[in-house]
Amino acid sequence: MLRQPLCRALALSSPARAVPLASRSYSNPVPAEPEKVEVFINDKPVYVAPGTTVLQAAAQVGVEIPRFCYHERLAVAGNCRMCLVEVERSPKPVAACAMPVMKGMRVKTDSDLTRKAREGVMEFLLVNHPLDCPICDQGGECDLQDQSMAFGSDRSRFTDVHFSGKRAVEDKDIGPLIKTIMTRCIHCTRCIRFASEVAGVDDFGTTGRGTDMQVGTYVEKMLLSELSGNVIDLCPVGALTSKPYSFAARPWETRRIDSVDVLDPLGSNIVVTTRTNEVLRILPRTNEEINEEWLSDKSRFACDGLKRQRLVTPMMTDSRGNLMPVDWEDAIVAAARALRDCPPNKLLAVAGDMADAESLVALKDLVNRLGSENTCTEQYFPLDGAGIDLRSSYLCNTKIANVEDADFVLLIGTNVRFEAPLLNARIRKAYVHKDTDVALIGPKVDLTYDYMHVGDSASVVKISPRGPEGSALLAYTQELACKLQDKLQDKEWKVLNVLQRTASQVAALDLGYQPGVGKALQDGPKVVYLLGADSGVVSRDQLPKDAFVIYQGHHGDAGAAMADVVLPGAAYTEKRATFVNAEGRAQQTLVAVAPPGMAREDWKIIRALSEVIGERLPYDNLDEVRDRLSEISPALVAYGDVQENNYFAQARALAQSLQKPVSGKLDVQLKHLEDFFMTDTISRASPTMAKCIQAVLKQKDSPY
Amino acid sequence: MAAKQAIQVGTKIVKPVLSTNHAEARLRVLSLYKAWYRQIPYIVKEFDIPKSENQCREKLKELFMTNKDVTDIRVIDLLVIKGQMELQESVNMWKQKGHIMAYFKPTEEPKPKGFLSKFFNSNE
Amino acid sequence: MLSSLRTGIKGLWRVPARSLQTSSVLQHDSLFVHRDTPEDNVNTPFEFSEANKKRIDALLAIYPEGHKRGAMIPILDLAQRQNGGWLPLSAMHKVAEILNLPRMRVYEVATFYTMFIRRPVGKYHLQVCTTTPCWLRGSDAILKAIVEDTKCEVGGNSPCGKFSVSEVECLGACVNAPMLQVNDDYYEDLTVEDTKEIIAKFKKDEKPVPGPRSGRYASEPLGGLTSLTEPPTGPGFGVQDCFKA
Repeated sequence: MLRQPLCRALALSSPARAVPLASRSYSNPVPAEPEKVEVFINDKPVYVAPGTTVLQAAAQVGVEIPRFCYHERLAVAGNCRMCLVEVERSPKPVAACAMPVMKGMRVKTDSDLTRKAREGVMEFLLVNHPLDCPICDQGGECDLQDQSMAFGSDRSRFTDVHFSGKRAVEDKDIGPLIKTIMTRCIHCTRCIRFASEVAGVDDFGTTGRGTDMQVGTYVEKMLLSELSGNVIDLCPVGALTSKPYSFAARPWETRRIDSVDVLDPLGSNIVVTTRTNEVLRILPRTNEEINEEWLSDKSRFACDGLKRQRLVTPMMTDSRGNLMPVDWEDAIVAAARALRDCPPNKLLAVAGDMADAESLVALKDLVNRLGSENTCTEQYFPLDGAGIDLRSSYLCNTKIANVEDADFVLLIGTNVRFEAPLLNARIRKAYVHKDTDVALIGPKVDLTYDYMHVGDSASVVKISPRGPEGSALLAYTQELACKLQDKLQDKEWKVLNVLQRTASQVAALDLGYQPGVGKALQDGPKVVYLLGADSGVVSRDQLPKDAFVIYQGHHGDAGAAMADVVLPGAAYTEKRATFVNAEGRAQQTLVAVAPPGMAREDWKIIRALSEVIGERLPYDNLDEVRDRLSEISPALVAYGDVQENNYFAQARALAQSLQKPVSGKLDVQLKHLEDFFMTDTISRASPTMAKCIQAVLKQKDSPY
Repeated sequence: MAAKQAIQVGTKIVKPVLSTNHAEARLRVLSLYKAWYRQIPYIVKEFDIPKSENQCREKLKELFMTNKDVTDIRVIDLLVIKGQMELQESVNMWKQKGHIMAYFKPTEEPKPKGFLSKFFNSNE
Repeated sequence: MLSSLRTGIKGLWRVPARSLQTSSVLQHDSLFVHRDTPEDNVNTPFEFSEANKKRIDALLAIYPEGHKRGAMIPILDLAQRQNGGWLPLSAMHKVAEILNLPRMRVYEVATFYTMFIRRPVGKYHLQVCTTTPCWLRGSDAILKAIVEDTKCEVGGNSPCGKFSVSEVECLGACVNAPMLQVNDDYYEDLTVEDTKEIIAKFKKDEKPVPGPRSGRYASEPLGGLTSLTEPPTGPGFGVQDCFKA
């Protein structure tokens, strides 16, 4: 079973790992291009690098070889045999996925021998595969189904119903997300390789041998990973399917809308699958620069939270203080009256985790027109020094994809595994394949790979942003990053990266929101406008007794509970909206379903409010809002692109005065897997996420 | 070449549809109006529409007045021809009750205009 | 009336349950998933003895740094021997801990090899070969005798807890068929009487002499050698004179 670079796992205890910093030159030596070899795929010549497999060479000329076990992002296993092809002067067919090309090799992917081999493999696979396609959730998107149509025989020789019959394997219980029907398993081992290589959770394996071989965990155990849902996509058959989505719909009945995830700061690309105005499931969409083809469990499975706890109608408090449903006119007029009568310095607007750039700009414009500058986000970030004036101070400047090329990663005060699971998967990829060393300053957490733990005291580092000493920490970090950058040979490489924790933060900072509400709250605001602010940093206790709270958002959570007026907005699947991810890449979500009830798109609510107040905002449609966005920063509407950031030296110079001594400890909010599943209004409303937490806690009690 | 075309276009003599001058066109309009006016009692009776003769006369006047600012003789002529065709259809009962009632557009509500009224009235 | 009588008679003949399509179970006699039992669970105490710990250190020293997992099979074997012939879950966990590997990787190896036994077995594990050569020479009778004498089912333990019987595939002693393996020893050229005698001795905790029961030393012909009877010739036999030194 040694099928992957797992020997690394063994090398962990080696003394060589203990001193990773000492003898490292941080440079990228470019190895000389090896000479390419010529191979012929169906007599078509193609030049490929030596070491390329036949399957990859064939893909270069557009010939797709059928496969089950092979996957581009996983180690080669070579055990399904579906990719057998004929190679001239080879006595038997060879497995294309594992066979490196040789000079002058002539591969025939459509010869009689190849077709016969495929048909034979297909027959063997189907001998032990149940014919339960009509009740199988993979039906319609099943590799085995498709390939048996394309390459299988048109009749069966399977007659062994009286003697041994088909193999039957008992189902495993691996948690509330993944349903297993192990009889359908064809032993491609993709799930095992994914768990061990990408997710870093070595709980899957094969037990037994021969016809008794089964894939599973041997002991009853939940797959404790934040990326476990990806094995559902990887499974070429219906052995691993989505539990929340089971028996819900067939793929051909659904509409698929490309969108962007907002439950973590990375902005993973997703496909929202809908039917009858209902989000059924969320799948990842390939984007090499962000999420490759993975998706974290929260982003994938929290979508059932979009149907629960929703605000469907405007509401106002009645005389007894209870929120009662009202018409839009009444709610807007009440909110407008409060905003208009409020003295400008007593007005506060707070943006939450999932606010889109359009509503952020509309709210900021409105608040500014009312004479106030108090627009804040919930997440704290130091404002001193360069603060948020230079974009490089608050973005992942290296970009997510380039993390793979890093030689050394220093994590300061973050549990990247749960704050941005796919970034962590990238770091793990670098760790496994490129011998990247990782060090962590902060509380000891499980990151799925080995790292050097430097301590959790801020003074060890004299660097890192959060808490009251945030400015000084950020200043030290910038100092350190600049010093490191000076020594680099590659001057283009960015050292400083700041990982924001929410999807809205970067856009908000770009638009000039102030991070953190601390100062604004101390002034005792009379009117508070919460734009989806639910994380509890603003609560009734901190506000004056007579404060008027307007909440605009899509879920009835902490924010709506304390509001005097509730304006129902749209969730990210219900609006076309711009989100900027942690690396500063603007992306847009598309409308997959209509907002429920009387809910409206967020920027429209603010626009309507502005007109009633008498401070009409100058945009009537989305294009005009986006024009306004591009006036503020063209980067906000350059969809899909990341602008290069600079001015590191200037930021360092501005921050130099702030390098005061720091003490205190660094801490992170999300330490364990159970903390990961519920972090925002959508996942808090999701029953699946609740089940996950239950299951994780149960698993932690289990002796396995 | 281009200059020649331009001159041609500029000096082109407009071919009249029916009327050669404004007075003639006016006469045609008035006679069409009178014809419709005289037909109204029969229309009310034969089509059995839930409108009184007076209402119909008001509507007739309103429909004629919508085009009061048309000055082009050719356009006036075409409008008169169309009016005559409609009249003929009414006289010969080629129209049905609904077609007559369509002049009154009873069910049509004005679409909300302006951001606010759209926001409050539709589900956008 | 007549038809109802007929159905009544038919009903008498019918098998009581509905006839469902079933197939015989062709399956290995051990499970490939873990089930907690009182004898075998995660809390079963297991610790390597001091002697075995030294052996483990020696085994680990064989393998280079980064490839210590190569020692997994020998260490699992040590664990099995120390634990009376079977491998509890806690022993696998111990091995994973020693090798610094995920537990699953140890489960994979332990379930793959049939000589790692993951259920409690008796002090004497009787493994009867029933593959073709032994079967031709009467292994069925041997197996029957063993099952009767020890009162075990095939694949189970005896009521006294002393014996376990399994039917196994070829153990590579076909010339001495039929044969029986008890723990590490082979008993070959068996007859039913021999078998009964062997089991009787084991019942008294005596150890019968391993090897062929027919009087042969090993696998030579029963009636004496028929070829190669003369003493072997020395070096240089049959070589041309010019090559002789």
